[in-house]
Amino acid sequence: MQSPESKVCVYNSTNKLNTGLIKNRVIENLYKLLMYGVIFILWFALAKHYNNSLLLPTPAKTISALGSCLVSAEVMANLLLTIKRVLLGFLIAFVIGVPLGFLMGYFKTAEKLLGGFINSIRQVPIMAWVPLTIVWFGIGDGPTLFLIAFSGVFPIILNTVEGVKNISKDYYNAAKSMGASRWSIFIDIIVPSTIPNILTGSRIAVSSGWMSVICAEFIATSAGLGFSMVEAQTRMETEVLIALMILSAIVGYCIDRVIQFANKSLTKWRFVQ
Amino acid sequence: MKLEIKNINKYFINDKKTHEVLSDVSFTVQGGEFVTILGPSGCGKTTLLTIVAGFQHANNGEILLNGNAVKKPGPDRGFVFQNYALFPWMTVRKNILYPMKQQKLPKTEAEERLKYLLEVAQLDGKEELYPNQLSGGMKQRTAVIRALASKPEVLLMDEPLGAVDFQMRQILQEELEALWMKDKTTVMMVTHDVDEAVYLSDRVIVLSANGGIILEDMKIDLERPRQRDSEKYNIYKEKLTKILKLALKKTS
Repeated sequence: MQSPESKVCVYNSTNKLNTGLIKNRVIENLYKLLMYGVIFILWFALAKHYNNSLLLPTPAKTISALGSCLVSAEVMANLLLTIKRVLLGFLIAFVIGVPLGFLMGYFKTAEKLLGGFINSIRQVPIMAWVPLTIVWFGIGDGPTLFLIAFSGVFPIILNTVEGVKNISKDYYNAAKSMGASRWSIFIDIIVPSTIPNILTGSRIAVSSGWMSVICAEFIATSAGLGFSMVEAQTRMETEVLIALMILSAIVGYCIDRVIQFANKSLTKWRFVQ
Repeated sequence: MKLEIKNINKYFINDKKTHEVLSDVSFTVQGGEFVTILGPSGCGKTTLLTIVAGFQHANNGEILLNGNAVKKPGPDRGFVFQNYALFPWMTVRKNILYPMKQQKLPKTEAEERLKYLLEVAQLDGKEELYPNQLSGGMKQRTAVIRALASKPEVLLMDEPLGAVDFQMRQILQEELEALWMKDKTTVMMVTHDVDEAVYLSDRVIVLSANGGIILEDMKIDLERPRQRDSEKYNIYKEKLTKILKLALKKTS
């Protein structure tokens, strides 16, 4: 559908942009590498100084523990279980949060009705829910799912509300003057212009879910990555414990990148030049 | 086509004081006419246009389009916004197809009309670009043909060149004139720029700053395409500038 001329124009502008970006990225990565180097040397020096692998194992020992974690079926099963919990909990938060956000953003009455309640209940520290959720759901998936969903639902709601409220009145008027139905205004105007905010909320939701799940697993489950950590601690395998911490950081980073990728591909129009 | 604006009154209440923006405004726009509402900022000209569009309501009076009272926005009145209000998440193609989709136009017919409109606006080959990728002129033309897509009875334009600098403005006025001469839809436009009013309109209606009273209803009897350096053109400009100054004085 596109003429060759306009294609060339688009490619040229992205090319110019790319060379600039690559240059920046190389420099950025060099700085990162430098920082990691310093941390590793410091870590190594401290480990040598204390010479006690229960307190602080050497980087080499930790990395080899990380390697054996990566091939251990048990650790992987626990990791997958935790990831599954986070995704499921996030899904619950999303399914509840997005419609509520749309309602509260669009209808002032809904916001007045729910806003106060939501604002007060989200002040309860997330971990303060752990004992109660154990009473409610027992040990297992219940409390963790509840905590992930609960910590995730608020950023999703608040960001969605903000997104809907920020839609320019002109867009509504434009759509109406073109004969748009209420459904079309929702699906063609409100949803696409709110997607960036929903994704921002989702990103915060998943990362806070990832953080609270480990904590919940310390207490309220008998499986999962958090549980593996407690086990490593009990077995006094500090290198495994640190390896698992590094692993959880890597997984968290990967999840974040996936969402950022989704953001770029779902809202292409924001990134074109 | 006949658009009747009948005894329109509009006031806002601010700090318990009534502030009248339009008082008893009446005129009729005939089919095929390019009518411009000229006035200093704050004279209620945009308010009048949005009342015709149905975005807001008058306190008194009525708008009749072909004898039917206007109650709410509708595809019989295309609207071009000052900031264009193109949907940034839709490509040019989807933006223009959107009103036709709302009219439930058959697909082949919509594609044909899309092709025709892109040609008229010299936007062929740009249909897969997003609004962010367009120049100011291309955005403006996209906004105009999007408003024309549903074949409105009248095209309403709210300072369609307000966001553009002076030189670009003249070029875009020429483009707009060329586009209009191909389509000949009835137009009601709002501007504060005398030159723009004379260049584009068949008829200019001047509103006063205070209370939105019609001060002048002038026919611009010039051949198209208009020549900015012609003597007649400049006489019209001078006349309207004088009236506009008067309109401003009435405020102070």
